Amino acid sequence: MEAVYQQNIDHFMDRINNGEKIEADDWMPDDYREALIRLISMHGISEIMGALPEKEWVPKAPTLHRKLAIMAKVQDEMGHGQLLLRVAEDLMAPLGKNRDDIMKDLFSGRLKFHNVFHMEAPTWGDAGIIAWLVDGAAIISQTMMLGTSYGPYGRALKRICAEEVFHAQHGESIIMALAEGTEEQRELLQDALNRWWTSLLMFFGPKSKNETGHSNQDKNMQYKLRTKTNEQLRQEFLTKYVPRIWSLGLTIPDPTLRFDEEKSEWEYADPDWSEFKKIVTGNGPKSKERLALRVRSYEMNSWVREALGKRPQHI
Amino acid sequence: MSDAEKDFYQVYEVFSKKTDTAPLQYQFSLLAPNRELAFIMAKENFFRREQPADIWVVKRDDIRTMTQEEREGIKNLDKAYRETKGYGYLKKKWRKYEQEQLTEKDIMGGGNS
Repeated sequence: MEAVYQQNIDHFMDRINNGEKIEADDWMPDDYREALIRLISMHGISEIMGALPEKEWVPKAPTLHRKLAIMAKVQDEMGHGQLLLRVAEDLMAPLGKNRDDIMKDLFSGRLKFHNVFHMEAPTWGDAGIIAWLVDGAAIISQTMMLGTSYGPYGRALKRICAEEVFHAQHGESIIMALAEGTEEQRELLQDALNRWWTSLLMFFGPKSKNETGHSNQDKNMQYKLRTKTNEQLRQEFLTKYVPRIWSLGLTIPDPTLRFDEEKSEWEYADPDWSEFKKIVTGNGPKSKERLALRVRSYEMNSWVREALGKRPQHI
Repeated sequence: MSDAEKDFYQVYEVFSKKTDTAPLQYQFSLLAPNRELAFIMAKENFFRREQPADIWVVKRDDIRTMTQEEREGIKNLDKAYRETKGYGYLKKKWRKYEQEQLTEKDIMGGGNS
């Protein structure tokens, strides 16, 4: 029995190391399946919870054009959630679980979502910063996983990344208008950046398990679910966006932030990882409210799901 | 959860064509309670921007796909005898007779050259 398992695992690792893609019904070790379920259901639910702070801005968007664009983005995010939940539930099927279990895990707090979606978005400046920098950060981590060893996840990410390009440009368009606007608009943008900076650094997760007590980075790299560490991604983010933020005359709320030429890396004030842990475990400023909104809409819409599900009468 | 609730959603696979003459292309899967809704969801989920020439939705249970074993079994079959690359050596042979080997184009074109 053990010999067969070893044979399976050797063959599996060979496939991964040869760049082959693993499909839903293929043999896979339990911890590979578990790692995928954890990663993809968290990603999928984050897309859905991530639509909530932006959705608050649909009725309040400053122009009709902005309203159409942010509505399209919110719809895309929900669509991304749908894709990812599909991928997750195919992995969960052999365990006798489905989408309902994912939702229940979210409602009970067992399933976490990205730290950024626990935060407030009080002004239109926040809507701009979210689309420009939160989506910018998400694009960096999603494109890194395009080559993931799990075929269905890679295919979902390919679709998602294609749409993210629109999101990033939508964000750039908002912040550019504010940055080139009145003094009041520039202040709005600066305030939003001040609010979001720490969350953006936290977005990529801690450097290692030293910060939060545990990390899945090593296993995920070994299984080629990801190819870069949290810190590598954060450095890429800083390289990509800090010069652009500065070029607009904005101030990043971290006086220690600088590029160390010798080490060829960014130095920054490490965020408070105990605060991060508090936020992602459902104790952020908006965690409870957004979760309650999700529960309420799930319950209130149940009759719609039921009504739509009635089989059409065939003539 | 009751069995009825568990069976409420079915997995549908979505395919589409970009143009009338394009081959059918796989898009992704979705969950829907019936075929009509699967079709509506397919449009909402996968064609928010792109204008397709046609969309197909098929219940996954009705599709037979290859197993891992079948996919791996078929991978390394040598079928050179079914392809032109299996007959590349003829080029040299014909040269010996001071003739050019007819290319695929020559053969398909009815031997114009």
